[in-house]
Formats: sequence, C-alpha cells, structure tokens
Amino acid sequence: MNWSNVRLILERELRDQLRDRRSLFVIFVLPILLYPFLGMSLFQVAQFVQQHASRVLVVGADDLRVTPALFENEKFAARWLGDAVDANLIELHFAGEIVAAEKVEETARRAVDEEEYEAVVFFPADFGRGLEQVRRNLPPSDRAAAAEHTGGAPARRTVEVPSPRIYWDDASEKSQLANARLRVIMERWREEVGRENLETAGLSRSAAKPFDVALEDVADERHRDAALWAKIFPFLLLIWALTGAFYPAVDLCAGEKERGTLETLLISPAERTEIVWGKLLTIMTFSSVTVVLNLVSMGVTGLFVISQLEQFERQFGPPPLSSFVWLLVALVPVSALFSALCLALAALARSTKEGQYYLMPLVLVAMPLVVLPMAPGVELTLGNSLIPVTGLVLLLRAAVEGDYAQALPFIPPVVAVTLACCLLAIRWAVEQFNSEGVLFRESERLDLALWVRHLMRDRGETPSVAEAVACGVVILLVRFFMSFALRQPESFRDFAVLAIVTQLVVVFTPALLMTVMFTRSPAKTLLLRLPRPSALLAAVLLAVCLHPLANLMQRAMTRLYPISDDVTRQLGGLLEGAESLAMLLFVVAVVPAIVEELAFRGFILSGFRHMGHKWRAIVLASIFFGMSHAVFQQSLVAFVVGIVIGYVTVQSGSIVPAMAMHMVHNSLAVLPSRVTRAMEERYPFLERLFADSTEAGYTYPWPVMALSVIGVAVLLTWFHWQPAAKSPEETLQEAIDHEAASPLAG
Amino acid sequence: MIHVRELTKSYDDLRRGKFMALDGVSFDAFPGQVYALLGPNGAGKTTILRILSTVLRPSHGSATVNGFDVVTQASRVRHQIGFMSANTGVYDRMTAWEMVEYFGRLYGIDAEALRWRMDDLFTRLKMNDIRDLLGAKMSTGMKQKVSIARALVHDPPVLIFDEATVGLDVLVARALLRTVAELRDQGKCIVFSTHIMREAEKLCDRIAILHRGHILAEGTLDQLEDEYRERDLEELFFRLISEHDERYGIVEAR
Repeated sequence: MNWSNVRLILERELRDQLRDRRSLFVIFVLPILLYPFLGMSLFQVAQFVQQHASRVLVVGADDLRVTPALFENEKFAARWLGDAVDANLIELHFAGEIVAAEKVEETARRAVDEEEYEAVVFFPADFGRGLEQVRRNLPPSDRAAAAEHTGGAPARRTVEVPSPRIYWDDASEKSQLANARLRVIMERWREEVGRENLETAGLSRSAAKPFDVALEDVADERHRDAALWAKIFPFLLLIWALTGAFYPAVDLCAGEKERGTLETLLISPAERTEIVWGKLLTIMTFSSVTVVLNLVSMGVTGLFVISQLEQFERQFGPPPLSSFVWLLVALVPVSALFSALCLALAALARSTKEGQYYLMPLVLVAMPLVVLPMAPGVELTLGNSLIPVTGLVLLLRAAVEGDYAQALPFIPPVVAVTLACCLLAIRWAVEQFNSEGVLFRESERLDLALWVRHLMRDRGETPSVAEAVACGVVILLVRFFMSFALRQPESFRDFAVLAIVTQLVVVFTPALLMTVMFTRSPAKTLLLRLPRPSALLAAVLLAVCLHPLANLMQRAMTRLYPISDDVTRQLGGLLEGAESLAMLLFVVAVVPAIVEELAFRGFILSGFRHMGHKWRAIVLASIFFGMSHAVFQQSLVAFVVGIVIGYVTVQSGSIVPAMAMHMVHNSLAVLPSRVTRAMEERYPFLERLFADSTEAGYTYPWPVMALSVIGVAVLLTWFHWQPAAKSPEETLQEAIDHEAASPLAG
Repeated sequence: MIHVRELTKSYDDLRRGKFMALDGVSFDAFPGQVYALLGPNGAGKTTILRILSTVLRPSHGSATVNGFDVVTQASRVRHQIGFMSANTGVYDRMTAWEMVEYFGRLYGIDAEALRWRMDDLFTRLKMNDIRDLLGAKMSTGMKQKVSIARALVHDPPVLIFDEATVGLDVLVARALLRTVAELRDQGKCIVFSTHIMREAEKLCDRIAILHRGHILAEGTLDQLEDEYRERDLEELFFRLISEHDERYGIVEAR
C-alpha cells in the first residue's frame, strides 16, 4: 500500500471540506457559540431561583399566642430562616378578615391558581389555643405546684392541635420554591416550640432528640468531584466523536457517488485500500476536531457558570485538570473506532439520503454500549473490558477518577478490542468500495413474489452468501422465540425430549428446507460424500486432542463471566439423571452433532465459501454456530471449536469428519462427570487423569495438556497439507492475490 | 494493444431474469488507431468500457490492455489508460489546475515533470483561462476539457472515450473530435464509443456495431461497405439492427 497516495487523498479531502462554508460553520463556529448561549440561559435560571421573592398569604395568624414567636414585624422571625433564605425573599401578606375553615381551601386554591399568591399558610382557629393548652397541661418544675395544679392525680388530657396547612401548586415552579422555603421555616419553628415545651415540663431541651447522627464523607474532595465528571466526560466524548464522524463520512462516500466523481477516483491508480484510508483519516480529523472544540467550549462555559453560582460549587467542583489529558489520549481510539464504523456504513449507501438513514441504527447500537458503564455496579473487569466501546468508557472513567493502578492492567485488552473493531470496519469499507453492486446499484422495485420465484428458479448448486446469512438468522430467531414457549425441564427425560425437539425444529428444519428450496444439489451443499478414511481418523484424533484445551477454555470463560451457581447445579442435576450412558450420549452428542453440522458446516459454510475467502467463511459460519448456543459461556468455546471443525470440513471436503469431531467433542465434555469412584478404583489411570477435580470442574494435569497441544498442532498441519477443493470465487481471488504479490506488480 | 475475447457480463435482474449486458464480445484495437463502438443505448458499450477500465468485472471471457489482464492485473491496467465519459464528474470545490494536478500526482508523476506537462496540456487544450476556476462554476464544455486533461496528464498509451460528446455544443464537440484525431496521430490506441454516425464515419478506423450485447458487424468502413454492399453507415446500422431483432423475434416496446 502506497502511503503517499493516502496522504494525497487525505489532503484533498480535507481541503475540500474546509472550502465548504456551511460545514465549517457547523463544525467550528456553532460549538463556540452554542455553549456560552446555553450557559447564559442556565445562569439566568439559577439567578432566578436564588433571587426570586415568594409571595405568601398568611391566614389566621392573629392569635398564635405561643412562644417562641413565628412572626416578627410582619415577616418570619430571622431565626427560622435557614442560611439559604433571606427574610426579604418571602413577602408575607396577612389576610384581613378571618376566613372560615371550610372556605379556606377554596380561597387558597383560588389564590394560588390565579397567581395572586404563590402559597398560602393557614392556621386554623383553634391552633393557637391548642398549643397553649398543650403547654399548660405539661407538669411544671416543682412537685408541689403539680399537686396543687391538678389536685392529686395529674390529668393528662391529650389535646388535639389542628394542623396548620400550606397550600401550594406543584405544577408551578414558583409555588414549588415557596413551598420549599415555607417548609423549612415551619419545621424549624415546630422543633423550637417542641423544645420549649420540654423546658416548661422540666425536661432538658434535647430530651426528644438526644443525639444527632453525624455523617462523615470519606471521599476526598477531588475524588468526589472527579466521580461526577468521570461519568459525564466519556459519555460526551463518544457522542461528539460519533456525530462529528457521521456527516463527513456520508459526504465523503455517498456524496461522492452522487456527484459522479467516485468513478474517476476508482479508475485512478489509487488502490481501494488507499482510498478508504485516506477518507478514514479525513473523517477522524473531523471527529477529533469536533470533540476538542465542543469539550473546550463546554469546559470554559461550565467553569464560568460554576464559579458564578455559589450553590453549585458546594455540590461539585470543576473537573480535575488531568481528566483533560486523559480525554485527549482517549480521543484517538474513540475517533478511530467511530470513524471506521461510520465509513463502513456510509460506503454501503448509494446516496446521501440513504446514508443519513443509517445514522439511527448506528446510534441505537452505540448508545447502550456507551450508557451501560453508567449503570451502578458495572465495573472495570476483564470481562467488561472486552466489550467494545463499553470497555473503553470504563477505562476512561477509571483514568479520570485517578485510579491509575486499577486501570493499568486493562489497557491491553481494551486497546486490542478497539483496534480489532477498527480493522474489521476498515476491511468491510474496502469491500464496499470493491463491490459492483454497491457502487453501481440502481434502484429496483421490490416485488416479493417475483423475488422468491427468482430464488427458486435461478438457484445454484450451492446456496449464495445471502442465503447462508438468512439461514443463520432464521435459526437464531426460531431459537429465541422457542425459548419462551418451552418450560424448564424437570427430569432427564424431559430434558432429552426438549433438547431433541429443539434441535430438530430450530436447526434441522430451516437448514433442510432451505437446502431443498434454494439449491440444486443437496449433496454438494451439505457435503454428503464419504471422506478419505485417513481424514476421518485424523478428525477423531483431533477432537480427542482438542478436548483438554477446550476444557481449559471453558474454565477460563467461566471465570471471566461467571455462571450463576443455580444454573450450574440445575444443569448438572439434569445430566446425572440419565438412565444410561448411551441415552445421555445420544441426546447430548449424537443428535446435536448430526443436526448442527448439517446446518452450520453444511448449508451455511457452503454459502459463505462463495465469498472467495476460505477463512472468512469458516469464521462467519462459526459465529452463527456459537451464537446458537443458549449459554453465553458455551458460545465462546463453541465458536473456537467451530472454527477447527470448519477447517477440517473444508480440507476434507466432507461433512462426516465434522460430525465425528462434534460427537467426540460433546461426548468427552460429559463423560468425565460420569466417572465414578468405582471406575476410578478399577482403572487407576483415570484417577491420575482427573487429578484436580473440584466442584467447579476438572482440570487435566500438565503432561496431558502438553500432549494435547502437540497433537492438535500435528493434526492441523496434516490437514493443511491435504488437497482441498476450492470454490470458483476462491480460485479467482487466489489468482488476483497472486498477481498483486508478484514482484512485477506495482 | 487491447484484446477482448468472448467478454460476457450478466446480471441477475428480478424482472428480466438473467440479463446479458454483454454476450461473447471479441475485438482487437491497436496503437495509432481509433476503434469505434457504435450502438444504440443499452447495447453494452459502457459495460465494455467499464470492464476495460477495471471498474467492473466480466462474468466470463477476458480482456487485456497493453498486455495486462483487466481482472488479475487491474492496478497495472489503470496506469495504462486514460478514461473519459460524459458523466465523469469534476470536484465542485477544486479548481481545474488542482484537479488535474491531484490525479497527476496519484499517477506518480513527480512535481517538476507534472508542472511542465500540465502547462503544456493546458495550453494545447486552451484551458489557461480556467486554471483557477472552481468546478462548480464551470460550464459543461469546460468540465469536459478538465476531464480530458485529467485523462491525458499521465500520457497513457490507451485512451477510452465513453460517449464523450454527449451534452456538448457543436463547437466544443468538434474541438474534442479534433483532439482525438491528434492523439491518434501521436500513436495512441483509442477506443471511442458513440451513437452518432457522423462521428464514427469521420473519425474512426475500425468500427464495431453493437446491439444487445452482441457485435453485429466489425471492420473498417471499406470492409463493411464491401461485405454488406451499403455505403451509408446509418443505413447499414439500422438494417443490421432490424435483421437481428427479427431473427431473434424481439418485439420492441419502446
């Protein structure tokens, strides 16, 4: 690949975009104006909250009588107002006439509705008298006075003090504010009245509230500040990177198709890869600039607003400076990832209109991955760091919070996964640029009947790539819906029936139907031919050697993503209930092997081989195979084992070795649990074999592992040297690759 | 120079079933020659030229350009050809000079030689007054000139013109045809597709008459006259086409 061509293309695209006044405005000028504008509005709102005076109507306050006094000089006494509330912030109006109790609600409602007042405080007629009565009923300081007072036995009559009421309107913000202020005042007054009651009764003022619970926040202030920003910044970073990448991507790909300049570019000596890289770097530039400008603008505005509003400052401080450094570091992988994704999608679109429609699905997929880390309990673990985007967000969060020690070991997996996703997206984009269908596709009217008839009438001997994908998707969908309809098995018999029925309906039927309907040669599609005996033997041996490695992988997966104990126990219990070994193996090994191999390594693999790349076909078929397993931890192991089986299928040209391998593999997976003590005593080597059996599973001793690694390597090499049939596309692709690699080229 | 053997291109169209855009087309074009592909719309001219320029791949058959196969040695082929068609666009926000320079540099021409060559080219094509004009502001004729300059900047031995005069006014079209003739005299191998008889008559050394993906007749004007006893190219053209349609029972629902 010629990097000077990439640079030429990059420079041209950048120059082109920078000459477009409108996009310059949106990318550069808008953020610089937008955030201060938003900040100003926020500022106004906050100011209002701080300085707006509530208008309150007080009814029935003429006869309060009790000390301490609530009112002073026609306002609330200063001691009831908290630090936040200034006396001038509450404008009191005392009702002139005495309003009857029944009429109060109506009066209050009208007053608040008509916005004459923002809240109404109503003291019922007997309120003052009731309070006084309560105080008079309290036992006085000396006993003598007590006896005199009540003539012997003290009569404790409980006095019902009618509640004062605050009328307010929750739908109005001003009313909410008034209510909040009034509540603080009334509660403080009520507490002080209570304390004076205690004093009058000869008790200490703190009798009702003997102690205060002290709250000690251990978080260091910087850490606490950082925690908030650590949640916000990665989220914002990703949003801006995504939106900053998307529109340039659509313009550079689909827009170029529309304007007719794409064909010219394709005829030039620039390779497709060079074109894609040039465009990718352009999009990354725009994505990064968008992020930086938005961040800076928002940061400056935010700092300014926070410093001006004292109440905010108490809740959270400005972001730590180091967080900006980390954001800049994270900028490169984030913008690379999203730029690659946007480019891949945009390359698929025929027009800018179509390209813009692809934005929504991309956002729908990216959003959960970005939001997931913000959920409580989601932490930076190895398992989580392997999830694209999510891992990156978690890592960034740890960095912003200052947890460097915690973050360090997770850098390699996150970087690896992000890099892998970028490279996959780039390869896909290059393919779109190579695909005639995408470049020169004309719109067609969709006619379902015609299309189905075409699929059946013009079918090839083996399925097409699209049909392979469809089969995989159908299998996954049917499995998904069936899982709702079926109930949990309770005995082995139940389980056996369930398993076999599921296999037949979910996997076998779609594959078989599609083979019959969409291919002319089921034998070629399903690879129904006898293999060479040596291939069959080698396959079985390979499955045996692979077993310890697969087991190791299974344990590693279970450690990364632990299965709940319930599930493990339940599954184990079901399997133990099997009546005979033969029955168990039939259900767990034989049926799945036959059915799944016919579907995944038969129909689906045959379809994918029309892509022209043997390994891509094997991996894709294995992805569907893995996804069709219900338990996630199993899926990953199945994916890897599926690749090996797929390779064997391709090299041997027959489905039989694959079935054999699958049967052996599944059998070996369940057999060790059937090894009983009695068996171990009869055959001592078994004991040595399962040296480290624990509840969680068994591990093989290292000599066995070493042997299995050697065995696998030897057998895979043997398969490598087998003459393997190629599909016509693979032959063609090989010829092209051979030419490209030859010394005469370029 | 250009050797096309049994070139076939088929598409799967839902309505039409398997649609053969090209069906076993073979011809040869040599340096110092203008080879015309003459045919109505839908004959397959653009398909052949797109295959030759490596943008499309044939379903069957082969084509070589200056000894390089268009499928397996595509990048070498692209260095050998200059392609121009009615809808090769120019970039809206690039000036004429910038555009030609961009492609020149993609072809690997070093800066000094490129500038010299571009000066020469712009003068010969009378483009010096539009050097700094942005693509969006150019007329169709100006755009065509820029496309020609772009196609010629790397001095390729093979030139492909796909209905290049469509949309041009008479004067500009005439100038274009004169340029093509000059290039032929310089020893270039030129493939020229058109549906305008006059152009084919005046300009071309060999002509292939295409219809529905087949070559109906091929040869120099004199050879065609001898074989079909028809002096007027236009008459010959219509005769061959209607004979073909009759033979294959094709009823035109135009």
